[in-house]
Amino acid sequence: MLKIFWKFFTILFAMLAWPQVLMAADYMRQIGKIRVVVGVIGVVFFGLIAFLIYLERRINKIEKTINDE
Amino acid sequence: MHNFGSLGKAMAVILLAYSLTAGMLIPLKPGIVNVMPDRLKCNTSAWLKVEGYNTFYLRDPRQWKAYLKLGTSDSSRVPYLLFSDSVEVASDTELFAHFNFPAHLPGHKLIASASLILDHPTQGSSVIPGKILLVQDSLNDSLGRQFWTLPADPHFHAFKSLAFPYRNILYETIRNTFYHVSLWFAMFLMFGLSVYQSVKYLRQSDIEADHRAHALVVTGILFGLLGCATGSLWAKYTWDAWWTRDIKLNTAALTMLIYFSYLILRSSIEDRDRRARISAAYNIFALAAAIPLIFILPRLTDSLHPGSGGNPAFGSEDMDNTLRMVFYPAVIGFMLLGIWISNLLYRIIRLEYKLGVNTKA
Repeated sequence: MLKIFWKFFTILFAMLAWPQVLMAADYMRQIGKIRVVVGVIGVVFFGLIAFLIYLERRINKIEKTINDE
Repeated sequence: MHNFGSLGKAMAVILLAYSLTAGMLIPLKPGIVNVMPDRLKCNTSAWLKVEGYNTFYLRDPRQWKAYLKLGTSDSSRVPYLLFSDSVEVASDTELFAHFNFPAHLPGHKLIASASLILDHPTQGSSVIPGKILLVQDSLNDSLGRQFWTLPADPHFHAFKSLAFPYRNILYETIRNTFYHVSLWFAMFLMFGLSVYQSVKYLRQSDIEADHRAHALVVTGILFGLLGCATGSLWAKYTWDAWWTRDIKLNTAALTMLIYFSYLILRSSIEDRDRRARISAAYNIFALAAAIPLIFILPRLTDSLHPGSGGNPAFGSEDMDNTLRMVFYPAVIGFMLLGIWISNLLYRIIRLEYKLGVNTKA
């Protein structure tokens, strides 16, 4: 389930990059490729969030085990 | 490192917040995007249309001067320069420069490439390297040298306020230096610390050291994967390819595979102490392989990726003091963030062990 969520987000994110498939001469439309930098920061951010979610699930498993004892 | 102190966590947040804001808000130096026409004949005259980026040509427009400079940078001798006789400013980002091209070029070739330089006393100078191609009908080196030598050496002004370097092709993506390269530095710290913990386990048989080594490797892999993803996105819009047959890219991917194998190795052994011992030994070899793969091999060949052809990636073409101002804090910020993340993971692994939740780990 998490996998589908992740795949969806990757595609959604890639779609944000589609308008950037322009010639270098069209720099004005994308303000000098600043959107690429925003994309990179987004990748780092969402990657870290995804890892946080992974840690959260693992802790939940531990807590469930404690509470069931 | 049972608990990573709140000072370290606060520093991680502060440094990363700083590198995010400063890295995004500091503007680029003004630059030249394009010059048209760029194929010109000697013994003619032409108006060159210059398009600027982040430029303000309309401010004090009469002070703009344009030059053509021949050849590649060779600072050992006086450069061959041609001065524009007239400059007309059309808008903040558009300018026209008129040149009378002399009959001959210096040198012994019929074709020469030239860079266009714009200079202004308060707005500094910008250059588009090697864009113009000049063609002559016959060779005359001595006459060419005469035509292309200016009576006085021009003084090019520096840009006064704080700004990141302008590079054609890169444009704003030069900011990715802070968010891509720093991840790799942080990854290496993670792997280095994990080898320290592995060695500690082998010497003292302290299972906590093994847990820490495991946590640090996972965090290192996280940063390495983010580094690959960010690098790939950066490459797509500068080199026009998600991946290339570049040595550094492939050795980085190989390093990732080596560390994935560490995780697979761990999950294949049931007995706790055997697992710790074998994976500790593997970890040491993994780092011993990663260092030449990523640091040494790429410098032996030429490549698009900075840090090749015999030079480290931090020469004057790739790094600048203004970039360093944001880059170093970003590196330290990501390193501290990595230690924080690996500390969380270590505590989870340790709890799972104590409670018998996940004996595989």
